[in-house]
Amino acid sequence: MTDIALSRPDGDQDRGSGAGAAIYRFMRSIPVWVLWLIVIFWSLPTVGLFVSSFRDRDAQRATGWWKVRPDQLTLDNYQTIFEANTGLGKSLLNSMAIAIPATLIPIAIASFAAYGFAWIDFKGRRWLFIATVSLLAIPLQVALIPLLQMFNLGAHFTLPILDKTITVVPDLDLANTTTAVWLTHTGFALPFAIFLLHNYISGLPKDLFEAARIDGADHFTVFWRLVLPLSVPVLAAFAIFQFLWTWNDFLIANTMVGTNADARPTTILIANLAGDFGRNEFLLPAAAFVQAFVPLVVFFALQRYFVRGILAGSVKG
Amino acid sequence: MGASVEIMEIGETEDVADPFKPTGDPASMAKYFRVIMWALVALFVVVLLVAYSKARTTAVTVIIAVGASAAVWIAANLLFNQVRRNWVLFNVISYGVIGFLVGAVLSGNELLEGTGGGFFNWVWFPLIAGAGAAAVGFVLARFSEPTIRLVVAAGGLGGLGLLAGLLLRPAYQPEVSPGVFAYAAGAAIVGALLSLLFKHAWWHGALLGLALGWPLGAFGYADLGDGNAAWAAIAAAIGPTLLGVRVSLAPIPDTVRRNLIDQRSRAVIFIAPALLFIFATLVVPTIRTIYLSFFSDNSEDYVGLANYKDTFDDPNSWDTSNWKDMFFSFPMTVAIVLLAIFVVIGISQKRRTGKVVELGSPSMFPLVIGGLFLSFAVFTVLRGTIINNLWWVAVVTGLSTGLGLAVAVLADRARGERIAKSIIFMPMAISLVGASVIWRFMYVARDSTKQQTGVMNALWVGLGRLSTGSGFWTWLVGIVLTIAFIGLVALLGQALVRRNWGKAVVPGVAALLLGWFLIRYFAIVGGGVGGQVSGPDGQFVGNPVNFVQEPPYNNFWLMVVLIWIQTGFSMVILSAAIKAVPTEFIEAARVDGATDSQIFWRVTLPQIAPTIGVVVTTLIVLVMKVYDIVKVMTNGNFGTQVLANDMFQQAFQFGNVGRGASLAVLIFVSVLPVMIYNIRKMQREA
Repeated sequence: MTDIALSRPDGDQDRGSGAGAAIYRFMRSIPVWVLWLIVIFWSLPTVGLFVSSFRDRDAQRATGWWKVRPDQLTLDNYQTIFEANTGLGKSLLNSMAIAIPATLIPIAIASFAAYGFAWIDFKGRRWLFIATVSLLAIPLQVALIPLLQMFNLGAHFTLPILDKTITVVPDLDLANTTTAVWLTHTGFALPFAIFLLHNYISGLPKDLFEAARIDGADHFTVFWRLVLPLSVPVLAAFAIFQFLWTWNDFLIANTMVGTNADARPTTILIANLAGDFGRNEFLLPAAAFVQAFVPLVVFFALQRYFVRGILAGSVKG
Repeated sequence: MGASVEIMEIGETEDVADPFKPTGDPASMAKYFRVIMWALVALFVVVLLVAYSKARTTAVTVIIAVGASAAVWIAANLLFNQVRRNWVLFNVISYGVIGFLVGAVLSGNELLEGTGGGFFNWVWFPLIAGAGAAAVGFVLARFSEPTIRLVVAAGGLGGLGLLAGLLLRPAYQPEVSPGVFAYAAGAAIVGALLSLLFKHAWWHGALLGLALGWPLGAFGYADLGDGNAAWAAIAAAIGPTLLGVRVSLAPIPDTVRRNLIDQRSRAVIFIAPALLFIFATLVVPTIRTIYLSFFSDNSEDYVGLANYKDTFDDPNSWDTSNWKDMFFSFPMTVAIVLLAIFVVIGISQKRRTGKVVELGSPSMFPLVIGGLFLSFAVFTVLRGTIINNLWWVAVVTGLSTGLGLAVAVLADRARGERIAKSIIFMPMAISLVGASVIWRFMYVARDSTKQQTGVMNALWVGLGRLSTGSGFWTWLVGIVLTIAFIGLVALLGQALVRRNWGKAVVPGVAALLLGWFLIRYFAIVGGGVGGQVSGPDGQFVGNPVNFVQEPPYNNFWLMVVLIWIQTGFSMVILSAAIKAVPTEFIEAARVDGATDSQIFWRVTLPQIAPTIGVVVTTLIVLVMKVYDIVKVMTNGNFGTQVLANDMFQQAFQFGNVGRGASLAVLIFVSVLPVMIYNIRKMQREA
């Protein structure tokens, strides 16, 4: 297959007529067929979910989604999942309450830092930058236990020798709140955000900054008037990546608010729906589709930024 | 990483369908972006305020916290603007603010007489402290005579300290003890050493160390509440006095030095918020997790490496007891056959080209496929959490990269390339939880008497129905496959006749597999293929596979979910890399008479090798941490446990914090080498 796959139409040299040529042309078209076969197989799961979400419970249990009949289509599933007991509406709000601050706050903090690392001269700058970016290597799991303890009880530190315990972070009553989730996301986004924004901001033309400095602009003005407007493409790429990351996140949300039905985002709701086997299974396709709706809209509307953001985000630890 | 940034810049124009054509005009893009951002903010505020009451308090808290932080940040910027413009003003304000803050800490905690209860009682001491400090700041900024500076600074700050000490409530008055002196001396020595390290005069650091160490020792080391007012006043006054002496020694900076201060302060203002956040949510928790991993389940007793030892002793995480079965499994048989073919071809190839295996050489295909089967033979017999993780890494990384490369090549310049790539990339947008739910419906297994509603089982049982049936479709499929088999044999024969051994391998292996399938399909040997068993009268009975619950292969079906998602990722990156290969190279090779496959293996592939490295390392790190899919589909049951899910269960469900922390550290350590490699590469490219 590989041998054939690499052939391109323009590389076709054996033009001729007769059965041999026909077979040859057929063999040449095999790669295209293979490609579309893969594409069809790739889209099957999503199409199946979409179709299933409009079929009622009995239809879903009786036949496969590919045997759907027009008279089976209904919006009841969507109606049910937004009703109070399943509470998808509240979960969507929670997802937004997590994803929006977790997108905006890291952008602000990281763009300060990226500018600082790129254009403010100070001793140990390179060393500090490498240390910051190296923290990309830390997997989420490593920080979860202490962070949860901190949100539950605050952070306390016992001074060496003096044997006195001081409270570094008081118990702010953040246990089981969406605030705990986006705070965690913010911290974890920063090394990557700084890295990404620094890559871009440090590449801006140097003359620009020198001219502004000569005109007497201070760093704050340069940052606000010059750097932010010029960095829009990278800020957008990061914003999209971070928004989807937090919207789709399950691990952090499950750790921080997994037990609180009032604060759980959509991913946890769906995972719980999937957990109680059988009973609510027919609601899952509709719920999963609603959850995926926001990312899919972003995907189809802002594909270029989306691809950029995803690719850039692939290094995130 | 630099590589992929560059790649995506190259790839972006022709990569995927883009409704927003790159305008190259930053102003319009800025406007566009600003609109999105404000819309997000507005949406957030409206949704939270309107929707439900509990969110209203949360929203108010968030807005106040964020607004206050932003105000502090901007105020700091404006204040440090004065370093260059107006040194006196800067000093007055900064001394005043520091004095006020220290005063606020003292009175806010009700450490002083007359504080507590009511705003006025709270505010009077901070105001005095702020005004006093501001006055000191004014003198220090204005006058350069050393005596005046020394007297005012030491006297002023010391006086404020004395006032605070005299006002100290008896409950906080410290006892006199020799430890205070030891502590202060220690701090002074540390300060002096630090000064020497940074090449300052040693007594500057010593003074500062003493100024900070003294109150720390006096109020931290001693027992509070046992002392008297006189000692408390002395203890409180010495620190600020020494501090005053130290600041009076620093001369008024000239313009050059003020520029330097401005510069350095900006570094702090711009970078400190990020570092503070990173420190609190990443650095400290990581250190603490490592620390906790050496302690027992309730974090009280030190247990050394016992948690790690438990993990490796636990048969649930590392079970090699059945290793002998490995050699008698089906995948092993296939692997041995393929590797034997590899050895035979490799030897003959070595005679001709001097190398046993090369990229795209005939011996490569049996080696790669044989290796894949070998990994299955190993990983289906050795069981446990750690083995599962390794299996995930091997299979998902290998197949996602391979499939992504195949699709990138197949789609390259094909008609409908954008649509095909969009569809394959789309799963990247869906959450892992959503993807798991989607695939659960693909894998549904229903009772054999009912219709199968999952696609996979419908296909599998359908194949069984075809194989054992005798209708039109059975024969149609059989005939088509037989024709394909004959075609492959013909290709093989042609290659053998022309003595073109290289071209014989791929059709040969394919013919072997297809022929074997046909023998089973027509039930020449065995009872047909697919999901079926024969009923008592020889009639058809469906036999679905419970993909999610039958170990050990359920692991593989879980991996398929991640492969479904990640293939799009590797496809986009590799596709961009393929398009970035200079056309001159390919033209030159073609002029020299290279075939398409030679061009791919000898020109394109070596060119994109670094990018493949990026994809593989990224995937290894990602797969090592796989959690969501296993959690949602099996929750680690049926032999599918992985490290991340085990860690979550141990730490947050079974309450075994030590074991959970040790598993987290294990994940960390296992991705560390790859991440170090990645970061080093990033730095080289940056």
